[in-house]
Amino acid sequence: MTEYFIRRILQSLLVLVLVSIVTFGLIHAAPGGPTQIFLSPGLSQEAAKVQAHNLGLDQPIHIQYFKWVGGLLKGDLGYTFKNHVPVGEILWPTVGNTIILMGTAWILSLLIAVPWGIYNSTKPYGFSDQTSSFIAYIGFAMPTFWFGILLQELFALKLDWLPLSDMWTMGQEGNLSNLFMHMILPITVLTLGFLAAYSKYSRSSMLEVLEQDYIRTARAKGVKERKVIFRHALRNSLIPIITILGLDLPILVGGAALTERVFNWPGMGRLFIEMAVAREYSVLMAIALITAVVVVIGNLIADILYAIVDPRVQLGKGGKSA
Amino acid sequence: MVKTKKWIALLATLTLFGALFVGCSNTKSNESSNTKNPTGSAVDTKKSTDKPVDGGTLTVSSFSDIVSLNPIFVADSASGDVSRFVMASLYDLDRKGNLTAEPWSLAAAPLEVSEDGKTYTVKLKKEAKWSDGQPVTADDVIFTIDTFRNPKVGSPGIGQFDKVDKLEKVDDQTVKITLKQVFAPFQYSLFNQLIPYHVLKDVKPEQLKDNPYGKDPAKTVTNGSWKWSEWKRGQYLAFEKDPSYWGQQPHIDKVVYKIYADQNTEVQALMKGDTDLIQAIPVTQVEAVKKKDGLTVLLAPGPLYEYVAFNFKPENFPDNYVPFTGVKTRQAIATALNREGMIKNILKGTGTKLNAPFLPGTWADPGSAVTEYNYDPEAAKKLLAEDGWVAGSDGILTKDGHRFSFELQYNAGNSRRQQVAAVIQQNLKEVGIEVKPKAIDFSSWAENNLTPGKFPAVLLSWSLNNPDPDGEQTYSSKYFPPNGQNMGWYKNEKLDKLWVDGYSTVDQNERKKIYEEVGKEISTDLPYVFLYQYGLPQGLGSRVKYAEADAPEASLPYGYYFHIQNWWLTQ
Repeated sequence: MTEYFIRRILQSLLVLVLVSIVTFGLIHAAPGGPTQIFLSPGLSQEAAKVQAHNLGLDQPIHIQYFKWVGGLLKGDLGYTFKNHVPVGEILWPTVGNTIILMGTAWILSLLIAVPWGIYNSTKPYGFSDQTSSFIAYIGFAMPTFWFGILLQELFALKLDWLPLSDMWTMGQEGNLSNLFMHMILPITVLTLGFLAAYSKYSRSSMLEVLEQDYIRTARAKGVKERKVIFRHALRNSLIPIITILGLDLPILVGGAALTERVFNWPGMGRLFIEMAVAREYSVLMAIALITAVVVVIGNLIADILYAIVDPRVQLGKGGKSA
Repeated sequence: MVKTKKWIALLATLTLFGALFVGCSNTKSNESSNTKNPTGSAVDTKKSTDKPVDGGTLTVSSFSDIVSLNPIFVADSASGDVSRFVMASLYDLDRKGNLTAEPWSLAAAPLEVSEDGKTYTVKLKKEAKWSDGQPVTADDVIFTIDTFRNPKVGSPGIGQFDKVDKLEKVDDQTVKITLKQVFAPFQYSLFNQLIPYHVLKDVKPEQLKDNPYGKDPAKTVTNGSWKWSEWKRGQYLAFEKDPSYWGQQPHIDKVVYKIYADQNTEVQALMKGDTDLIQAIPVTQVEAVKKKDGLTVLLAPGPLYEYVAFNFKPENFPDNYVPFTGVKTRQAIATALNREGMIKNILKGTGTKLNAPFLPGTWADPGSAVTEYNYDPEAAKKLLAEDGWVAGSDGILTKDGHRFSFELQYNAGNSRRQQVAAVIQQNLKEVGIEVKPKAIDFSSWAENNLTPGKFPAVLLSWSLNNPDPDGEQTYSSKYFPPNGQNMGWYKNEKLDKLWVDGYSTVDQNERKKIYEEVGKEISTDLPYVFLYQYGLPQGLGSRVKYAEADAPEASLPYGYYFHIQNWWLTQ
């Protein structure tokens, strides 16, 4: 077990280093870099050079990279180019805001989707199953931002029941009921999106398990259907869902940029777009890195959960782990 | 005035995102304006004759956050907007764009210019004070200009003070600025804000950008009508009345500058009443906003114009052959383009035709002195024939074995330009010229094509954020890339000289005559085909009121907050 963890962590570190090199390289290769802010008319070439030098942009790219990594190891994410603000000061609040929004939507959709999917698998093509399919189609087919605009139009403008956008009403920061009102619309949009996927996954995964020989055996033995489902089938059917959840974890911090934009939610997805437009490399790099870390952690957690739900998965022995 | 002329980079990027993220409604693409009512719209119900009342919170919104409120580093429009609330300018602009000393300006009297046009005397108001109680003095003026022009500081506004020779403190309230040469546009460099000498004098120039001044409300000493109370990054900024403000108190207690990531949401916020003023309503949504009771849409043209720029450098064409060399050819292209059609169908009637780089209605507008081009394909064909172009076997004109075919570049995601480019392609096809429109991402376009001057022809706009008509940096052969903005390598010695004449006198009547000459020459010689002036419809909520003299003025930089000190709110 320990050996397995050490190996996985080392692998993860390697992945992170590779990710950082690739993102750093790609971002710096893109045209229209931060030096574009020096393009203002009248700024002499010399003055522009002084500025590039002050920001360290005149150094070779590998030196810039090592400086950046050096800063990271000391917990320094760097500064924005345009106004020299520490990246963390901009970034961390948005991460928290995104987790509040995405986490709620995610948990809510799991709480609905998994039991519902399992129930539907016991009565395939019944009314509930058909309804779920219909919702899934809508959830998949409808662009989230468009659905968001529709909800805003109806509930915020026409009916005037709910706030249009933002996380808090100004001056009411910290008031939880205010936050709750602001969350209803974006959560509805996001939950519908998640719901579509998760209910389908859990239904099909359960159906697959129910066709297995051991389920037939259990039924032949006369085990009650309830027990068949919850005792014999459920745990096994959860394995693919855990994989999906592990892979989806980055969404929690990455945020749904479009939903955040439409609802003016001050989260990381929205920040990423704004910073891409402003060519603030240090912020973009930090976001890319955080996302990569979460992907790695997500996979690690998924692997551990396998071991819990599926005793057949033996960690650390002969590389049999998933 | 930090921004003189810039490619509409911000608009372009926003257009891109508008198109990408508000996909179904093409929003941002048609920023345009109605020129039928140049000084405001017929539906302006804000102009009130009631007595102003004090109090209330005005929420204005925008789509980007500020960078810094330190005037030395203000280069983006959000920071420029917001700094109006907390920082008094040395001088302000009147509705016609003349420099003036308003009650809220730091200057006590209009700018004095010496007989020889080289020395400017600035007199400050005795009562003007910083928010920490210190007086605003000549030291602040001198320190500000010295900081602007110090290359170590890295101010984007460095260029506006490069003609300054000497700064003299006459007394605490008086500064003499002497220029190296007569340069009339310099006066607009004084439509600028100051930094406090007593706070920043010990900061090293290269560390000014790291200094919290301009970023931390508590550490930013200001001298304007409101003081900065809060900055919630990416969300909003708040400004409150300052009881110790040196001038007359504004009517509005608190101003909130709210940032919306999505333009559609911003328009909905106006309709819901979450915001009281938005700077730009997409053309597609103007009708919906107008229908809503109490909302006002101001459709006046802004300080920007669109054009097709030719390139005159042979290296940019196959076989090193520049098809635009003949003046008759360029005039033929101007004649072949249906600009009225573009304004009517693409801008939905919200734009004004333009034949020279001067905004219609401004003091330097040469009016009828310019050569006017009216849509006439037959006349265009005649001009092309006179210039030696003959139809080839495929219907495309040729001259000396070269087909008349060129690439017209514009920025991807801007649907207005995309449509205009298609009309240009169609119009020129009718007279035998092949146009290949090509959309390029703005950043790489600017870096690879515009700045180095490498393109056959471009469809682009200039934003004139300085009311001065001087256009030397854009049209003179002194300013070829990479040192200037004459990106099409256009050379016309007569114009080169006229631009210099234009800024070498401070007598406005004389300047007017010179720019009339410029207008004549440039509209005949056509380095560009000038298309139209356009703008962004501004939206106002029902609570906002102002007297007629204080109405927003779209043609000015920051004009949507024109005389905001005098506005008031009803409940």
